[in-house]
Amino acid sequence: MTRRTMPYLFVLPAVLLFAAFKLYPILASFRLSLYKQSGGVETFAGLDNYARLLDDSLFWTALGNSAVILAVQVPLMLALATGLAVAFNSRLLKARSVFRLGFFLPMITGLVAYGIVFSVLLNQQYGLVNWLLGSDIPWLTDPLLAKVSLGLALTWHYTGYNAVILLARLQTVPTELYDAAAVDGAGAWRAFRHVTLPGLRPALLLTTVLSTIGTLQLFDEPYVLTGGGPDNATLTIGMYLYQNAFKYFDFGYASAIAYALALLIGALGLLQFKVLGGKS
Amino acid sequence: MTTLDRRGLLRLGGALTVGAGLAACSGTGTGTDGGGAGDPRKGEITVWSWQGPAAQLKALLPEFNKTYPDIKVTVQDIGNPAIWDKITTGLAAGGSGLADVLHIGVDYLPGYVEKFPTGLADLGPLGANKHKDAFAQGLWQTVAPKGRVNALPWEANSGGFYYRADLFEKAGVDVESLGTWDEVIEAGKKLKAATGAHLLGIDKPASQPDAANFFQLLLQLQGKFYFDLAGAITLDSPEAVTALTLIKKMNDAGLVSDLSGGWSALENSIKQGTAAVLPWPTWFGGIIEGLVPQEAGKWKVRLPPAVRRGGATAATVNSTHLAIAGSSKQQAAAWTFIEYVLTKPSSQVAIYRGKGIAPALMAAYEDSVFHEPSAFFSGQKKGEIFLGALKAPSPAFNYSADYARALKVVTDAQTKVLLKGADPAEVLKQAADQLAQQTGRKVVR
Repeated sequence: MTRRTMPYLFVLPAVLLFAAFKLYPILASFRLSLYKQSGGVETFAGLDNYARLLDDSLFWTALGNSAVILAVQVPLMLALATGLAVAFNSRLLKARSVFRLGFFLPMITGLVAYGIVFSVLLNQQYGLVNWLLGSDIPWLTDPLLAKVSLGLALTWHYTGYNAVILLARLQTVPTELYDAAAVDGAGAWRAFRHVTLPGLRPALLLTTVLSTIGTLQLFDEPYVLTGGGPDNATLTIGMYLYQNAFKYFDFGYASAIAYALALLIGALGLLQFKVLGGKS
Repeated sequence: MTTLDRRGLLRLGGALTVGAGLAACSGTGTGTDGGGAGDPRKGEITVWSWQGPAAQLKALLPEFNKTYPDIKVTVQDIGNPAIWDKITTGLAAGGSGLADVLHIGVDYLPGYVEKFPTGLADLGPLGANKHKDAFAQGLWQTVAPKGRVNALPWEANSGGFYYRADLFEKAGVDVESLGTWDEVIEAGKKLKAATGAHLLGIDKPASQPDAANFFQLLLQLQGKFYFDLAGAITLDSPEAVTALTLIKKMNDAGLVSDLSGGWSALENSIKQGTAAVLPWPTWFGGIIEGLVPQEAGKWKVRLPPAVRRGGATAATVNSTHLAIAGSSKQQAAAWTFIEYVLTKPSSQVAIYRGKGIAPALMAAYEDSVFHEPSAFFSGQKKGEIFLGALKAPSPAFNYSADYARALKVVTDAQTKVLLKGADPAEVLKQAADQLAQQTGRKVVR
């Protein structure tokens, strides 16, 4: 063992674990996506499973649902998170750490646990929300409201998390820039637009990409909250993948969905880097 | 310390990686069939079941061990529906990690058999065929559709019609005289006007797959199912359209309460008395009794009315079974246990007494417990009512390997009808086409 080989020995366990538990399943599922299983016999199917996706209306419904959440919930949540980050950073706010903790706390709640809590809160007949409002709103049983409920749950859970990431970046923006902006006569809004937002850009990119990945892979919340219903209004790609694998035992097709999803996430991530990344 | 150069180290790493990969690969087979059957009087076996049935299997163990002291049985309550994911992953992993004995519902059994043909042991060579005629009609076809015995029947549930006799009495309706579901709808209108109670409840947005239970009952009463015996799709048959149209009529008349939220919503509904009829199978009587014991004497039970005048009122709507994992090394001992539990009348009678689980074993019904009047059900002999259904001619239904997919498109179709007022024939046609696209099966029209 020499000085030059020693580092390889140190990383060997990690490499082995990575190969066995990450690389192998990833490659095996790709292989699986090229096969069909019938009567216990696997047959090579080429790209059939992928071609099947194009004609599968449920896959497109799931994709559409994920796209709606991505287009509506993610921007709203990130705008809210940016506002919170600015507030958390403000010297005018007393007990800042208490607020930061308060908004971050939902993040440490188990996904399934909060899904159940929301399903109890939003139950049409016995839910606390309808009881407080004195209403009879079908939060989880109307197709549109079920999407809204899912968005509310996601926003509650992830806004604080994104706000903390944005706050960390905000604290690296030099205060001199704000002083200079003030000297130049900029008000709070102009300072936010021309100092805070450009300063936040790398963190906004990060949170956007992370939220995109999270949204496209969404599973736990709709699984617990609505079961993908009513009539597939909250079916996500992650749920559809799970159903194909573990409810319908169609592992080849489920793997094809997984790879289609991975490609989509890769493409969207790249696009976001191009648009938001700028020249740095 | 041995010296290892960089190339050697990389080679070692590569070899170990390939080894790990191969080790993982070796688990992806489809299990072995038969083989090491083991000793029928000795061994240690594990049994997977859920909630009530698991408790009843445990309760049988002391008696079992008097006859077979050298077979140590561990019954595990995996929970339902968790057990299905656990069995599926075990079968997909070539049987590794599976228990020896598996409790499997009729909605999963054909799928497991078709996708993992050797995942479950063939019980024929172990001696199952001699019990072929011991079970309720149609069940042997379910467990051994092609001669290979994949499991042994345990419970056989017939469709039932549990109702609040006091509410119907208040509305001036004689429930026993209702011959068809159309008459039930008319009675439901009177009931609603007189008492404010809904006729029945359905999980309208289909938050659980159970939401289609009632539709399925109406279909099975007409001798039809989602697939025919050859495996073709019959989801939009005239009978299916009739069944969904009946549901639409009830809903449009305001007779259907919403049970969204699944099981807990159903329990709440029973406690609050929001619906007067519970069209659930045999085992549900015990549930009602447990939930509202104070309502003893207010409840009655009968078989469901026919869909068309003079049609069938009996249908075996579901069953559960015990199977042995193909990977089990203790198949003989596991068989000894299964045979003891499922083919011995006294075992089945004990289980019925404990949890009201209705046996598929016809000999069990000779016991007096099935012929006693029930205080809760207004002195009716509930056991005899369902025994009548089990004895009635009942066709075998082909659940097929694609039952879960079929159930999904059916519940979606029903949701469209109940929440958006969609046309039953149209949504069922769409559902059948979608199922054909997903499964490659033909639609028979």
